[in-house]
Amino acid sequence: MSQSTAESHTLVAEKSGIGLTRPDHRSGWVDWLTTVDHKKIAVMYALAGLFFFVVGGIEVLVLRIQLSAPEMNFISPQTYNQLFTMHGTTMIFLGAMPIIAGFFNFLVPLQIGARDVAFPRLNAFSLWVFMAGAIVLNISWLFQLLQVMGIFNPEGGKDIVPAIGWFGYAPLSAGEYSGIGSDFWIFGLQILGVASIAASLNFIVTILNMRAPGMTMMRLPVFTWMTLITSFLIIFAFPALTIALLELMFDRMFGTNFFRVSEGGQPILWQHLFWIFGHPEVYILILPAMGVISEILPAFSRKPLFGYPIIVFSGAVIGFLGFAVWSHHMFTTGLGDIATAAFSLLTMAIAVPTGVKIFNWVGTLWGGRIKFTVPMVYAVGFIWMFMMGGFSGIMHSAAPADSQQQDTYFVVAHFHYVIIGGIVMALFGGIYFWLPKLTGKMWEGKLGYWAVGFVVVGLNVTFFPMHFLGLFGMPRRTHTYLAETGFGPLNMLVTIGAFILAFGLLMVIIDMIKTLRSGKPAGQDPWDARTLEWITTSPPQVHNFDKTPIVKARDAFWYDKHGDAKYKMEYEPDDGHGIHMPSQSWFPLMTGIGMMIMGISLSLYSGGVPFMGYLGIGGIVVVTVGVYLWLFEGPGGYHLHPESEESK
Amino acid sequence: MSEASVAVSHGDGSSTGIDNKKLMMWLFLGSDCMFFGTLISTHLIYRKLYPNPEVSPTEIFSIDLTTASSFILLMSSFLMALAVSAMHKGEMKSYRRMTWGVILFGLIFLGFQVYEFNHFIHHYDFTIQSGTMGSTFYLMTGTHGCHVAIGVLILLSQLIASYKGKLTTANSMDVEVAGLYWHFVDIVWIIIFSAVYLVEYL
Amino acid sequence: MPWVAVLFLVGCDYKSRQSTFDPKGPIAQEQLDLFMVTVWVVCFLFVAVGSVLLYAVIRFREKKTDSPNFKPKQSHGNPVVEMGLIVVSILMLVIIAIPTLQAIWFTHDLPEDESNHLGQWYDGEISEESEEEVLTVYVYGWQWWWSFEYPQLGITTANEFAMPVGKVVNFELRSRDVIHSFWLPKLAGKVDTIPGRINSMWMQGDEVGHYYGQCAEFCGESHAYMLFRADVLSEEDFEAWVVEQKAGAASPDGGEDWSGFKESLASYRKDPAIAEEWDDVFEGAALFYSKGKCNTCHAVGGSGLAMGVLAPDLTHVADRVSLGAGWLDHRAEDEGEIDPELQLENFYRWVRESEKIKPGNLMYEGTGGMTGLKDIELTDDEVRKIAIYLQSLK
Repeated sequence: MSQSTAESHTLVAEKSGIGLTRPDHRSGWVDWLTTVDHKKIAVMYALAGLFFFVVGGIEVLVLRIQLSAPEMNFISPQTYNQLFTMHGTTMIFLGAMPIIAGFFNFLVPLQIGARDVAFPRLNAFSLWVFMAGAIVLNISWLFQLLQVMGIFNPEGGKDIVPAIGWFGYAPLSAGEYSGIGSDFWIFGLQILGVASIAASLNFIVTILNMRAPGMTMMRLPVFTWMTLITSFLIIFAFPALTIALLELMFDRMFGTNFFRVSEGGQPILWQHLFWIFGHPEVYILILPAMGVISEILPAFSRKPLFGYPIIVFSGAVIGFLGFAVWSHHMFTTGLGDIATAAFSLLTMAIAVPTGVKIFNWVGTLWGGRIKFTVPMVYAVGFIWMFMMGGFSGIMHSAAPADSQQQDTYFVVAHFHYVIIGGIVMALFGGIYFWLPKLTGKMWEGKLGYWAVGFVVVGLNVTFFPMHFLGLFGMPRRTHTYLAETGFGPLNMLVTIGAFILAFGLLMVIIDMIKTLRSGKPAGQDPWDARTLEWITTSPPQVHNFDKTPIVKARDAFWYDKHGDAKYKMEYEPDDGHGIHMPSQSWFPLMTGIGMMIMGISLSLYSGGVPFMGYLGIGGIVVVTVGVYLWLFEGPGGYHLHPESEESK
Repeated sequence: MSEASVAVSHGDGSSTGIDNKKLMMWLFLGSDCMFFGTLISTHLIYRKLYPNPEVSPTEIFSIDLTTASSFILLMSSFLMALAVSAMHKGEMKSYRRMTWGVILFGLIFLGFQVYEFNHFIHHYDFTIQSGTMGSTFYLMTGTHGCHVAIGVLILLSQLIASYKGKLTTANSMDVEVAGLYWHFVDIVWIIIFSAVYLVEYL
Repeated sequence: MPWVAVLFLVGCDYKSRQSTFDPKGPIAQEQLDLFMVTVWVVCFLFVAVGSVLLYAVIRFREKKTDSPNFKPKQSHGNPVVEMGLIVVSILMLVIIAIPTLQAIWFTHDLPEDESNHLGQWYDGEISEESEEEVLTVYVYGWQWWWSFEYPQLGITTANEFAMPVGKVVNFELRSRDVIHSFWLPKLAGKVDTIPGRINSMWMQGDEVGHYYGQCAEFCGESHAYMLFRADVLSEEDFEAWVVEQKAGAASPDGGEDWSGFKESLASYRKDPAIAEEWDDVFEGAALFYSKGKCNTCHAVGGSGLAMGVLAPDLTHVADRVSLGAGWLDHRAEDEGEIDPELQLENFYRWVRESEKIKPGNLMYEGTGGMTGLKDIELTDDEVRKIAIYLQSLK
């Protein structure tokens, strides 16, 4: 049994395909490009997500300036349309989802007591493919800039940045009515879909198969449970979007007739396919947020989660029902009375498991000792704000009332309460909660409290008046309005609120940077928390746990700390071979780059730019070669021998 | 761990006793069901909306030919099962022979499909742009054809690896997973065959 | 914080143009009533859950006197409480569900009351089948304007239409390009116009007046400029309006008879110089039907010269209070009369610079072989004359 603390490499300087040497975790910046460590991947996901979150935020501030007064001419109508399209797409696919993926990556292996995810290189592949999709979507800004400068002038070059809304309804997104922006959007989303499905498959296998001994399903931390449900939603919901995008792409590039009315195509089909994906997508975003809240509340109430089985079960019910309510996005499309009634009732039904979660969170607080740290303020704020969003959701479920609300600012208010009041609050709470674990540094001072205050105030000043704007008759996605409509004053208020909110979010980011620069060491378990990620070092070592913990109960770590001998933590004995760690790989990055080349060049091909078809094929070749080399490279690996005190 | 007794060779270290790769393939196939489900339902919806397309399916389909190619694909599944079983038993020679058979049958199926597409386009002027029927037919059968082609590539690369000695009985799980994929692609074809071809003769 | 917003809202106008709080017809009323049911249920829930949450947060917060190692009772849940809450929340939803179902059928099904049939109240000329039907309006959504056709009455108009007070009107909604949504908040919630299918809805205006609506589904570049107006008129006024709409436009020389103008136009086409002695209306008309090529897309009823169907019907364009689908208003003050000078200026601006007023519009861009104004070089003076002609179309 080795007692050495040194990391000995049993396999040294492996060769890789196409003349590359296989990098390892000592390789400097190459390490970040080739890493398969779930924690580093998590950091890259989260940083990319935060970056795009800021980008989407800037986009929306421009929109709000344009709307602050009637008949403004701050930006042109088409620029407005491009900005709101990119705001929606960016926030959902490039902001919220990667931050959530960051949480999944960082937490799931730690919470289940695993060394890494089931397929580490596939995990890196998901990250780089996500980056490729994000670049394909956003590089359209660059081409538009080139067009404005007069350097680049493709066919159909009126809108190079997508201007079809994040929902891309055909036939507006079809060839006749939109430019190559739609192609960037189609390829960008298609690539992001690949990333999401790959990541989700990985997480399901990880959660089902990589659990530490004794970690039965009903002992899983709630966040991990929500990750599992979310991953299932992704693998079943994204295919509908992928096929819809494929059909739209064929309509645009090969003249098929899926949505071409003159040849019998039915644009309404797009809406069905999009929302069969789009509604579960809502739960894909909110379930992880609910998981985060379900971790923070018990920690700072010093009590187990109230009704764990019911929280888990209601999460599963939400996920299941999430596939049965898509048509409530389409109440105004003339579904017929039976279908409208059915989807109305199902939508109401989904409020029950959601309500159950809120009751259980309140139940968790009840009788506890609530410590108002910053994450806890976010968590309690989440319950309030999410409740507001849920309530307007109930209002939408009454289909006839919804026909007045649909596509107005009332809906905008509703889903921003859910997304900012729910998802963003939960994710920021989660960042404050787990940042000490991720970085080993503790945030301090009052800035965090001020920031959450500004966020909550800004959120309400921005979105509460929007309910009224909608009910007063202001449709969404209109770049301006007549003074006679009387929308002016409320819009000014909303714009002021948006800037308050932006200021709050800026403070959060400043606080994070401050923590990274000058935070004090956090220690292993600063919150007296309950789950397995807190038994290891902060930040966790590359192999997460020196020894795999044996799980005797839900929250066993907490009972052990508080002196319950029945739950004394035990660990698997060292088998003497050391810990096998997978080698890093170039090929996930290579396939990601291939995807990026393919997406960009095929979008440009559709705009008639010469040679782009060949470049697109080149991209496909890069992807194929990358996958091939990856498959035959093997996991490789080396062994770590951490110092273990108990084995001495 | 109690699971240790469940897993004879492959389940080592997995909580469910199912090998990671195998579980992954099952999940992927679940997801793939949604892909094909969406494609097939698009086809059936448009078929119901437009019961009398310009090009009548019964006139252009050659049900004998498609039945033959379907039969060949089904038989390839049979060979695939034999290949997996041979791999488990460590009979490398038999594995290789069976896999060659699967690849050959897969290629014959693809050949039939290429012939069919070619025939439709040149003899009946039935292209991907021929109404909604043309669009759904080609996208759906084309997607399936891509699945078969990818399957052939996977099997071929495993076969090459086995000749190079990189694929041994220790990797029999890889063969089993490829087999799962191949069976799935066959089952999907049975559904497409019924929903696209046979249904027209009802 | 919400309360600050509420206080602010007190200063706002609940009866503004498109407010759903000011319903003027049975459908909008039904929808508002249902909405208020949901509001009350939700308010109850908010107060109930909110006060428990607030109490819990205050009562169970950590106090300075607490020992840092205080360990509250580690309770895992209470099935009775949880099941009870589930039952209560289902009951709350039932309170919403029942009126919802009633409202769905009420708003979907055309009322069968015979007094709404055209034969019962309409005195003008209609076919026999139409007598047994309610008044039907075909609505067509275009990028970015609306056209309204009354098949039973044989009239077509654009962006502004009329309906009789107190009578059920059936609307059939179609789209000519992309998806739009037909929304007249004070009379009814929206229904989409979707290419490839026909949607329908019914509406009834209970009070004479002007009602404003706009497209509510994102439909491209100038989506925000796609407004329309409904005039709910008394029965007599409606019938008078129909008679007026049915009449063709007067010839540019003033009479009913266009043959004189047609002859002049033929010679103008050979030699535009003859226009020197014409007045502005006459020359504007000549430009409209020749150099401007306006008649390829627009229709002017009675002329026989302009029967285009791709653009708004202009037969009575000068009777409408606005131009460019509601964006350019001809009235100096809200709900006032048409100001002729403003109207002329609007016509001028619209022909001269429509691409600035409504970017992407087909009148400027051209479409499918139809020449757009960007490829027709009209001088400012020519545009002024066309505007003067347009103003004569009453």
